[in-house]
Amino acid sequence: MKGKTKLVVAGLLIVAAVAYLIVTSTGSTAHYFLTIEEVRELGEEAWERRLTISGAVLGETIDYDPSQPRVTFTIAQVPGDPKEVERAGGLAKVLHDAVNSPDAPRMEVVYDDVKPDLLQHESQAIIRGQLGQDGKFHADEVLLKCPTRYEEGIPGQAEES
Amino acid sequence: MLADVGTILTGLGLLSSAYAFFAVSWSIRSDDQRWWESGRNAVVAAAAVLGLAIVALLVAFLGDQFSIDYVAQHSSRDLPLYLKASAVWGGQDGSLLLWAFLQALFAALVLARPSRETQPLVAWVTVLMSLITTFFVAVTLFLSNPFAPAPIVPADGQGLNPLLRHPGMIFHPPAMYLGYVGLAVPFALGLAALITRRIDEWPAAARPWTLAAWLFLGLGLLLGMRWAYDVLGWGGYWGWDPVENAGLMPWLTATALLHALVMQDQRGGFRWWSMSLSLLSFLLVLFGTFTTRSGLIQSVHAFARSPLGPYFLAAMAVTLLGSLWLFYRRRRLLSTPESSEELFSREGMFTLTLVLFLTITASVLIGSVLPTLTEALTESRFEASPAWFDRVTGPQFAALVLVMGVCPLLGRAVAALRRLRQQGLPTLAGGLIVPAWAGLAGFTRPLSLVGFAVVGLAGGTAVGEVARGVLRRTRRGEGPLQALWRVFGRNRRRYGGYLVHLGVILMAVGVIGTRFYTVETEAVLGTGQSVDVEEYSLVFEELEHDSQSEPAATRAYISVYRNQSHLGTLRPRMDQYSDFHQTAAVPAVRTELRQDLYVVLAGWSEGGAQATLKIFINPLAAFLWLGGLVFMAGGAITLWPEPRVARLSEPQARRRRAWSTAALVVGLILLALTAWLMWGNTQMTTASTRLPAQGEGTPAAPSGSRPRVGEPAPDFSVELLDGSPFTLSEANEDVAVINFWSPDCQPCLDELPDLQAVWKEYQRRGVAFVGISLPNLKQDVRDTVSELGVTYPMALDTMTPVEYGITGVPETYLVGSEGEVAYVHIGPVSAQRLSQELEALLAE
Repeated sequence: MKGKTKLVVAGLLIVAAVAYLIVTSTGSTAHYFLTIEEVRELGEEAWERRLTISGAVLGETIDYDPSQPRVTFTIAQVPGDPKEVERAGGLAKVLHDAVNSPDAPRMEVVYDDVKPDLLQHESQAIIRGQLGQDGKFHADEVLLKCPTRYEEGIPGQAEES
Repeated sequence: MLADVGTILTGLGLLSSAYAFFAVSWSIRSDDQRWWESGRNAVVAAAAVLGLAIVALLVAFLGDQFSIDYVAQHSSRDLPLYLKASAVWGGQDGSLLLWAFLQALFAALVLARPSRETQPLVAWVTVLMSLITTFFVAVTLFLSNPFAPAPIVPADGQGLNPLLRHPGMIFHPPAMYLGYVGLAVPFALGLAALITRRIDEWPAAARPWTLAAWLFLGLGLLLGMRWAYDVLGWGGYWGWDPVENAGLMPWLTATALLHALVMQDQRGGFRWWSMSLSLLSFLLVLFGTFTTRSGLIQSVHAFARSPLGPYFLAAMAVTLLGSLWLFYRRRRLLSTPESSEELFSREGMFTLTLVLFLTITASVLIGSVLPTLTEALTESRFEASPAWFDRVTGPQFAALVLVMGVCPLLGRAVAALRRLRQQGLPTLAGGLIVPAWAGLAGFTRPLSLVGFAVVGLAGGTAVGEVARGVLRRTRRGEGPLQALWRVFGRNRRRYGGYLVHLGVILMAVGVIGTRFYTVETEAVLGTGQSVDVEEYSLVFEELEHDSQSEPAATRAYISVYRNQSHLGTLRPRMDQYSDFHQTAAVPAVRTELRQDLYVVLAGWSEGGAQATLKIFINPLAAFLWLGGLVFMAGGAITLWPEPRVARLSEPQARRRRAWSTAALVVGLILLALTAWLMWGNTQMTTASTRLPAQGEGTPAAPSGSRPRVGEPAPDFSVELLDGSPFTLSEANEDVAVINFWSPDCQPCLDELPDLQAVWKEYQRRGVAFVGISLPNLKQDVRDTVSELGVTYPMALDTMTPVEYGITGVPETYLVGSEGEVAYVHIGPVSAQRLSQELEALLAE
């Protein structure tokens, strides 16, 4: 039985190591997943954190300067909870309502990179980055999805920029 | 009409598979052979009608039947035929129908030629497979029918998403589905083995199916990665997205299952492991389908929330509870007979391997559902970034590769260390040579060197094992090639396995290179300007806009130089789809073993005089795809049945050999196809030229100083080979063609006959030709010219290339009637292109 005990201990050690990795990585490299509203509520505290925010892209605000390259655009608040999205009538409707509602909280995004292929009006943007002291969101990564039209056909990393 | 046919066929498929379930169940209960025969026929019938339903859908796509909603949403009239065909599985409804069909097909295949081991299990397997098929057909028919009519029949369909119009995307989904469906077979076989208490037959029966499913999943993942690399233009191939993870997880557990099956077959034991892994693999297939359609996962890539979610959840619950109940009832059967439990035995290492596969799977799973999970546990919602996944799974993958290197050295519970001393030489050598080589090649970051060392250990072992096998045979007097062939041929499972390991190791080299050393920069270049990235110089030559085609394509021509040697022209492209209001940046890739140069055209300004480029250097990326091919080849060898010819009669043996040859041919074709998908589609011309060695006045022109189109061409006078003078301004012709070349540059030699042909055609139409060779032995130039039959004026010169800012050969200039540069071509020019330009010039 001695051999078996050793084996079990080795297995448990691996599991413990992995659990440790998961917990510490969640602390250090995972992003707070917040809505625009929640970021606003955090106030200055938001400056120090790595954040992931999601929102609906306002088409007319997209400005691309290929000589930098730099894209700026504004996104409007959408609920973060999938159930809430569902109650409001589905993602497509939520995005549509968000861009057309003047009251929805908005956030300006600055992305120092080339314009992603799918950045367009009413697409859903999931953005990783940090809130700058200028009140703008400085993105490291922009993921996009256009639910009105391509909801089904895009497998894999189609929207990665 | 066609829609009705399709719906009816799907309905018939549902009836047949449901009938098969009941008939075979009844035959087991009543032991009545007639019910069994009838049920068997129903299984085949289900596969046949569902196959016809796929054909019906295909016909609908090819015939532009937009009265069917699914066709209207995923196709359009102007789509090429092959894309119309692949649009059959371009969306959810069609892919579910394909899934249902494949499920029925596999049920029929298990029945068709049951092996000796499968025979006693076949009745129960048919029951379970029919049940699974019935579920999928029912879901397709009632919740997601691809033949549903369109509310309004549109004049044209919406077309296929531009990003999916790539050969990799045609084969990726079916490969994934074949893998998913295939994993149902070992699971069904396992439950059947438990029910009939024939657990010892199970590993041999399940192995080929598991292997095939695992190979298809691997191929699907590989093609998906390559598609992302070739099409999406973000420089990477794996983004740890939940949808990708959903495909990766069953592959991981299937890999573990394969190892557990081998151990159960060879040493007994591992019954719990293999049975739970087959259950887990099947559950993860259902889970992937469920999560991507249920809204549980917050992913930009998830399918739209559809009513399918709850049904898949219910199916998972039934599968899990049913299986666990059966496991409990048969717990005595599952309890392992005595086997070695020493940690440093082969069994011990295999166990650790399985644990690692499970922890990686669990990590990926946790990462995928982290927002939901953390919200339930704590107040805040966390999201796992790619860095999270790298950090969590990286060390685990490294440990796995390490175990892979050590494992084959451990025999039965014999003294591991002694064996290590006797046979560990290749392992240790690999562990030293690979990091040393990497360090010398400039890959010096400590963590990556650890990675290279681990990879080297494992690679050394794999190569050492094969080499030992070959050596044993050559000592017996076999030739080395014959010995190699026989080593793989006679023990396919073992050596195919080593080849798979070697493939994984090569891929690991690629992963380390791209994860640690990728260089990414952006550049905004005006025409003729250049940028230096590492050892490359990239010159932006021109932007070519083709607005006539659909999509409208804009290409940037980027000349690539290294040490003033012209490597080729990269053509990254931006496609604009007017109907989709979408652009797609298609990257251009220049692949070398050491690194990929990956260029994306990100935009342009000032009417095309300025281009914005995104440039990536991905070190060792080629190893990833190379490893993928070796991996597939190794997998194919393990799948290829062992020749048990000795025990067979002559006609049987002949048939077996014929099958074997056919399998070999099919395998080779598949590998070739995979290779083509990997490398056949990158956007670049393959010119490779070298300037003559430095010294003796070699033109070391800085890039960017060449005269631009529209500027006056520098005048020059040279002495031709026959001694007569040639001066550009005195050429007395409307148009002049100047070709710079060198006899030691193969692409130059390739283009000379084309130039000669064009000269023959245009010399009487007012076109002067002159070839200018870079400094070389006059005799070499003379020989080349006479050998290739070039008769237009030819000279050797040093100064002219400098004045024209030549950075490499061949380059060709067209000078118009005003003495202005009218056209510049970098790299070899074709007769067609040159004539086209000349016609345009002469027409002015």
